[in-house]
Amino acid sequence: MYRSILKKDLKRKKTMNMILFIFIILAAMFVASSVNNLASVVTALDSYFDKADIPDQWITVPNETEHEKFTEFADQKGYDCKTLEMITIDPNDILHNGEKLGYDSTICISSLKNSTRVFDKNDREITEVKDGEIYLTALIFYNKKYDLEVGDTITISLNGKTKEFTLKGCTKDACFGSGMIGMTRMLVSENDFDYFSGEDATMMYSEYVYTDDADFMDEFNHAEISSLFNADRSMMNMTYIMDMLIAAVILVVSMCLILISMLILRFTINFTMSEEFREIGVMKAIGIEVRRIRGIYITKYFATSVVGSAIGFALSIPFGKMLLRNVSKNIIIGSTGGIWLNLVCAAATAAVVVLFCYLCTRKIKKFSPIDAIRNGENGERYTRKGVVHLSRSRISPVFFMAVNDILSGLKRFAAMIIIFTLGLLLITIPENTINTMQSDNTIYWFNMTECDHVLSTELLFDQSSSRKKLEDRLVSVKNYLAENDIEADVFQEAMFRMNISHNDKKTTSVAFQGIGDVTADQYMYEEGGAPQNAGEVAITGLIAEQIDVNIGDDVEIKNGESTKTYTVCGLYQSMTNMGEGIRFYQDEDLDYNYVGSAFGMQIRYKDAPDGKTLSERKAMLAEHYPDWTAYTAGEYIRYMVGDVSGQLDSVKLMIIIVVLSINILVMVLMVKSFLTKEKGEIATLKAIGFRTGSLVAWQTIRIAIVLLISAVLASALSTPLSHLIVGPIFRMMGAQSIEFEIRPLKIFLLYPLLIFSVTTLSGMLTALQLRKIKASETSNIE
Amino acid sequence: MNILEVTDLCKTYITNKYQNNVLTNVNFSVAEGEMIAVMGPSGSGKSTLLYAVSGMDSITAGEVSFCGKNIADMNSKELAQLRLDEMGFIFQQMYMLKNLTIMDNIILPACQSKKIDESRKETVRRGQDLMRKLGIIEIANNDINEVSGGQLQRACICRSMINKPKMIFADEPTGALNRTSSEEVMEELTKLNTEDTTIMLVTHDVKVAAKCTRVLYIVDGNIKEEYNLGKYTSQTQLKERTRTLNNWLIEMGW
Repeated sequence: MYRSILKKDLKRKKTMNMILFIFIILAAMFVASSVNNLASVVTALDSYFDKADIPDQWITVPNETEHEKFTEFADQKGYDCKTLEMITIDPNDILHNGEKLGYDSTICISSLKNSTRVFDKNDREITEVKDGEIYLTALIFYNKKYDLEVGDTITISLNGKTKEFTLKGCTKDACFGSGMIGMTRMLVSENDFDYFSGEDATMMYSEYVYTDDADFMDEFNHAEISSLFNADRSMMNMTYIMDMLIAAVILVVSMCLILISMLILRFTINFTMSEEFREIGVMKAIGIEVRRIRGIYITKYFATSVVGSAIGFALSIPFGKMLLRNVSKNIIIGSTGGIWLNLVCAAATAAVVVLFCYLCTRKIKKFSPIDAIRNGENGERYTRKGVVHLSRSRISPVFFMAVNDILSGLKRFAAMIIIFTLGLLLITIPENTINTMQSDNTIYWFNMTECDHVLSTELLFDQSSSRKKLEDRLVSVKNYLAENDIEADVFQEAMFRMNISHNDKKTTSVAFQGIGDVTADQYMYEEGGAPQNAGEVAITGLIAEQIDVNIGDDVEIKNGESTKTYTVCGLYQSMTNMGEGIRFYQDEDLDYNYVGSAFGMQIRYKDAPDGKTLSERKAMLAEHYPDWTAYTAGEYIRYMVGDVSGQLDSVKLMIIIVVLSINILVMVLMVKSFLTKEKGEIATLKAIGFRTGSLVAWQTIRIAIVLLISAVLASALSTPLSHLIVGPIFRMMGAQSIEFEIRPLKIFLLYPLLIFSVTTLSGMLTALQLRKIKASETSNIE
Repeated sequence: MNILEVTDLCKTYITNKYQNNVLTNVNFSVAEGEMIAVMGPSGSGKSTLLYAVSGMDSITAGEVSFCGKNIADMNSKELAQLRLDEMGFIFQQMYMLKNLTIMDNIILPACQSKKIDESRKETVRRGQDLMRKLGIIEIANNDINEVSGGQLQRACICRSMINKPKMIFADEPTGALNRTSSEEVMEELTKLNTEDTTIMLVTHDVKVAAKCTRVLYIVDGNIKEEYNLGKYTSQTQLKERTRTLNNWLIEMGW
């Protein structure tokens, strides 16, 4: 008998059963793929670094002398280390299919000898590079600007030697793959590397140290070895923060999807169960035991959930991969849990469905048969259903019914409101992050001050570098602009690496001095003020914390061979080198023999040009300085940190597609279930003379109101949640207080409108199905 | 003058490839101010006839003329307008919108219609008048599950009356009510009829049918015969009308 009840039930309530089935598939798919992605993303960097055999300490020294000093230091202390030899290449000497590649940051070549492990795009280790072949890091390879494809010709010239290479592919290169390292490499064969190396080559040495000695950095700092760059594993971890930013977005998406799944399940099961109450009442009335009645429904939901979860499990694998596709271009994100985790999650979803069903059927015990027949209402109620009254309002009945339905059944619509709010937030939070990162204001976070344009080229610094040489270049640019009747301040950031100490605490940090038409007070400071005299410095909060100093304290800073005492006059925030930084007074006498590198030449026009003039001037600079690249401030920052915002853009596009698909699906299924549930009311309204158009409008207005509430909620929550979710990531990068760049038109209008119109339209089209309900069906309603 | 004229009305359902002729060549007419009952055994096509002639359901063949217009030629919009402005409906199941109060349910068709040019206040006042007339004014602001079946059916009558329809169609209006409630509801319908509202109702109850002017007896989708009872004027006639009708129904095979 129970089998036949079940069979009849599945047949008769086809629509609702199908809706529940689809929602279970969706929930299993979201939960399985999201949990697996969560596990993969959280452990991604550690597992990637382990696979790549990343050292515990990575020191890059500039020349053979420093390399020998380091080797002696390592031997003496007994550190396990290896050295990767690299040759620095002038980016202008790299041709792509006969044309300049256009890359303008530090780039070098190296072979696989003593290298950390590198992987191809399919995560397979590259163990051999043949002569004449070259690999580029994913950072360059996937940058649309360079338009690179496998098989292209890359020509490298160095000190009169030229060689053509065939581009073999891209590498996932843990040491040189992050935009924030500021240095990347091309991988060639050992023979090709030897061909270019020689006395004239500008060598760099990457010293990879494998040690768990916590005092290593102290020892190294005391060894007085000049380095270009040093980072421990955690610092290297941090250089991938931008990739992790994208991963974090995927993480948030995954968590929201899990939440959405649970809401959908709860809503659907409650909804379908309320449909069953009348039958439950009848069964109770004819004396069937509660246990047996519950058994029928639990069996039904169990069978539906098992089949649904199995399908959801199968779909979760491609869906999860699609979500991760944009994160894994630069790093290896292996599936930590593998298929088993997906399977467990799908099974858990099935269990949750049965649990929800079990909890819902608990009510059966409490109901008398007649309560159940009355759709689970025992007649006792403490709140009135009608909150607003048609008789007391002037609005049209259709609009009134829509408003009244929502107010009378807030709980029923709450799930929809939460789902749509979450969906919109999933779009607006990444949008706020992208806009903030693309904003020209970010320049302050990178040890720079406001400017209109940046002329960038790679400078190779050596022992003969001097401030005068840099200033001459600035003057020549300034003169060129003046010849064209353009008055501008032209300045540049010179960058050093210095040891800084206070009492017994010592660390190394990147240090900056603005040269040209710039003064230290033009930068942003969080506390205190700018260095206004020689002997004063501002430092970042991170450095202050590391050496335990505050404003007014004295610190010792070693520049080249000399060590001087400076007074800390201000604290600032920086995202360069994960928050480290020292800023000198503009006229402080520093030894430019030890300058490490410099940012691009910044140009700030004095006549406040409009957008059109700025574009014209940028084109003029590009034409006059063909070897250099002209950027706006925002473009320059994007170039420095890597094309993260570009990647985020593609992630955002994917999220928009996912959110819209979910919204459409949820809307179609929910409206379908409403139509099933409200069949009686629709038939009655038709019978008393309501047109189909009016009834579609009723359903649509109700959806529109729900979406409107969601849009308002999402708009209100967008900024605080951006601070809450993305703020900590920026803080980890060194920016303690971030003002998010909110673009009201996009955040408060464009995206809400997009979601609103697409979802409402899908709801309206589904509501058109009520055409099939006839007025005469009023007499057939159960 | 006839408000409703039905000529050769046929209604056929196709169920599982089988043709089911529910109504076959039905002919009858209803004069203005008449109160007509449709009786017959279960499954004879009473309700189908009611829904077919009121434009709630499509017809397979024939002609249904309401106030001189053939409703078979009307599109769904025109039919909806006709039901809203010119017809009233009462169902056995007292179906009302559960999120609205009784008063809101009653005035809902009036608010949707443009037939009567009046303010919302005036609509509410008319709703109150109708409720007062049917003795349910005290439940105006109640939810629908806070009132008895009889009260709810009277509220449904108020709803059917709110747009001052030319004709009311009622499908077993007392079918779900006890005797007292049933009598109260019929009392109201009779009163409406005396105020010149044409009524066509489907019923199994002889006492209900005895209050009508004419009874159509339908068997196997066709009107077998009709019985003219004349105008019901007072309670004293009821016993005699019921007895006569009962005898006729027994003759018909009831």
